[in-house]
Amino acid sequence: MQDPLHSAAVYQSLLTKRYLTSKIMPLLAASAVMLCTAMVLIVWSVMGGFLNKLLDSGRTMVGDVFIEWPSSGFAYYDELITDLEKDPQVAAATPMIETFGVVSLSDDRVEGVTIRAIDPKSFSRVVDYPSMLWWKPIETPLPKDKLSEDPRLDAKRKQLMADVYNDGLKLAEVPGKDMPEVQAAVIGIEMSGFSKRQDGGFYEPRALVRPRADGQKEVVSRWMPNSQITIRVLPLDRGGRDIQLASASVPVANEFRTGIYENDRRSMFVPLALGQRLLKMDAAQATAPGFNPYDFQGDAGKPGLSTPVVTGEDPARVTTVLIKAKEGTTADQLRVVADAVYEKFAARHPGKVPSIMSMRESDLIKTWEMRQATFIGAVKKETSLVLLILCFISLTASFLILAIFWAMISEKTKDIGILRSLGASRAGIAWIWLRYGIAIGVAGSISGFGLAYLIVTNINSIHEWMGTALGLYIWDPRVYYFTEIPSRVETSKAVVVLTGGVLFSLFGALIPAIRAASLDPVRALRFE
Amino acid sequence: MSNAEQPILMARGIYKTYRLGKVSVPVLRGVDVTVPEASFLAILGASGSGKSTLMHLFGGLDRPDRGVPGAAGDAAKTGQVLFRGTDIATFSAAQADTYRRQSVGFVFQFYHLLPELTVVENVIIAAMIRHGRFGYPAADVDKRARELLTTFGLGHRLGHKPAELSGGERQRVAIARALINEPPVLLADEPTGNLDRVTGGQILDQLEEYRRAKRLTLVMVTHDQEIAARADAVIRLVDGKVVGQMPAAALAGG
Ligand SMILES: Nc1ncnc2c1ncn2[C@@H]1O[C@H](COP(=O)(O)OP(=O)(O)OP(=O)(O)O)[C@@H](O)[C@H]1O
Ligand SMILES: [Mg+2]
Repeated sequence: MQDPLHSAAVYQSLLTKRYLTSKIMPLLAASAVMLCTAMVLIVWSVMGGFLNKLLDSGRTMVGDVFIEWPSSGFAYYDELITDLEKDPQVAAATPMIETFGVVSLSDDRVEGVTIRAIDPKSFSRVVDYPSMLWWKPIETPLPKDKLSEDPRLDAKRKQLMADVYNDGLKLAEVPGKDMPEVQAAVIGIEMSGFSKRQDGGFYEPRALVRPRADGQKEVVSRWMPNSQITIRVLPLDRGGRDIQLASASVPVANEFRTGIYENDRRSMFVPLALGQRLLKMDAAQATAPGFNPYDFQGDAGKPGLSTPVVTGEDPARVTTVLIKAKEGTTADQLRVVADAVYEKFAARHPGKVPSIMSMRESDLIKTWEMRQATFIGAVKKETSLVLLILCFISLTASFLILAIFWAMISEKTKDIGILRSLGASRAGIAWIWLRYGIAIGVAGSISGFGLAYLIVTNINSIHEWMGTALGLYIWDPRVYYFTEIPSRVETSKAVVVLTGGVLFSLFGALIPAIRAASLDPVRALRFE
Repeated sequence: MSNAEQPILMARGIYKTYRLGKVSVPVLRGVDVTVPEASFLAILGASGSGKSTLMHLFGGLDRPDRGVPGAAGDAAKTGQVLFRGTDIATFSAAQADTYRRQSVGFVFQFYHLLPELTVVENVIIAAMIRHGRFGYPAADVDKRARELLTTFGLGHRLGHKPAELSGGERQRVAIARALINEPPVLLADEPTGNLDRVTGGQILDQLEEYRRAKRLTLVMVTHDQEIAARADAVIRLVDGKVVGQMPAAALAGG
């Protein structure tokens, strides 16, 4: 007898429309919803973007999976790489030495850094090394470089940039005309402090003014690819004992930028051969000590030292092999492959390379995610905690709607009585307010999304503006990990926040709606 | 279709007591009223005598007391409010809603229009409530609302808000709203109580004309003897009881 949809009749939409457009209070409620959804979406986008960048950054530097034996490294890596690359799930693999060292910059500053010795050719097949190199000729300015002030755009410097780019790709440079090519380093662009990041997102070599002997002043541009640095490392022998400090002076071929401050500030690349030489990890004759102070029948009858006995070849070593997965293979799947390949490899060289047992024990075959697991885990937890707190704060909007609706229902008691006298059911009355709550939620959430989208996509310029106009730098790249604030709103997050905004509004409308529905029509009509 | 003998509305021995904490306020104490189809009944009575209460019971907005079996005196009695022979006091909530949508229209002393809606929207909202989401005949309703408002002399005020109308105009809108669903019964609680004599008279003339044309049953509460004199029958509520259901002529004479 009763139309089941009767409570959802057309009159509610008419009332919602009229109430929404003729009252200031619901607009305030919608603004509260807007601010709350915008707040949650902005924080989530930035922190989530931060997390994504963090995850990506692990990949940028080490590929999908890596096998490492820190400090003393392992031999026969070429063979391991060949074995790995035979596997259909492996796209490429490359050797690397990762070590700590000290670098002296041209102004006598000394910095502790991570030195990565790489073979640039094969390294480029595992990670996108060429795109990391900063100094190269470019045609189109960076998106934020509105005035095209990037020195890399300069047509006059095109050849120079191209040369420097090539040097970076080879990790070598020709110091002068008709001179032989020498090994060179590529350093993080934030390391020297001489490449100054501009508002447009590009780098400008810093110019120094210094007094000359004749009393004049001269301006010197400190462009890093023109300079020389000295690196010092502490080589260890195969047993992990330190030998003595080794140093080398190398020219800077280019600078790189990953966008991760820690990398760009404190790491550099050198050629693999240089790394191996400095760290005494290159191929050498294996010897047994021939020294015997009591052996007077030594070589040529001389007492004391005798020539060490050559016992064989000690092969070159690296600390790490980086592996890249083929399309469609996950890092975890690749790790299983790497483990199996290494097991066979180690079995062929017992006693010469770390056994699969010790690799597994110390968990040294890792995915890029495992490498940063604690850090990533902390950021993930922090993000969820902040979101939880923000959701809690957003309940304010729910209560605001509740309060406003409560007041409106008191004001509209008579209207409710009239509607009941015209035959509106209790559910129908409740639906007016729920609909109204949804309408406020939808209007508030959509404008909140718009606001968040505007803010997030422009967050870096807003931040810069706050810095210059108000002296307020919230995001300091020296404190944070990245040089830029993530500025993307993901659709999935937007959908969740929008739905949340509507649900929170609905929740706020629920209790007033129930109250409105339970009003006695006669009392409502008598209400003054 | 309906039996000529059967009255459209009938109250049989109804009691209504309001309870305020421990104090009970008996308002109706055994009221019997019969309203024949297409007639005009006027209800008189002092302020607070329970006229509005009776209207609410007729309109299915409220229920009369249900007698407690075995209780002493009046408290044991259960009255009936019959609409075409069916006791509306026993309706479920949904049935009562349907009854209000289809069978009765209300007009109140203070108009009770929705301030946010325009004149024409105030009228069609009653039709919107009557019809569900589906099958709401928007065009028909719109046309009928305009016709009704034109009949009551408001054809040129359709887009105005109630606040822009005079009292008499507002009451005409309220009447149009009560009649948009063509209910067989119109319950009017002092519809002219807030208006001057001339305006009130005009409205009553228009209503009377409509009533005759559509065979509408009209139950009207009034304080005005003159208005009561126009009715087919007049009752007076005194001490919660009906004092005489008499033809209006008799009242006018006495
Ligand atoms: N909800 C309620 N609770 C308690 N008493 C009530 C309630 N509603 C009405 N009454 C009482 O019932 C009595 C009848 O009220 P009612 O409104 O029916 O009178 P009325 O005849 O319409 O008066 P008037 O001519 O002033 O409109 C009054 O004394 C009133 O105080
Ligand atoms: Mg009254």
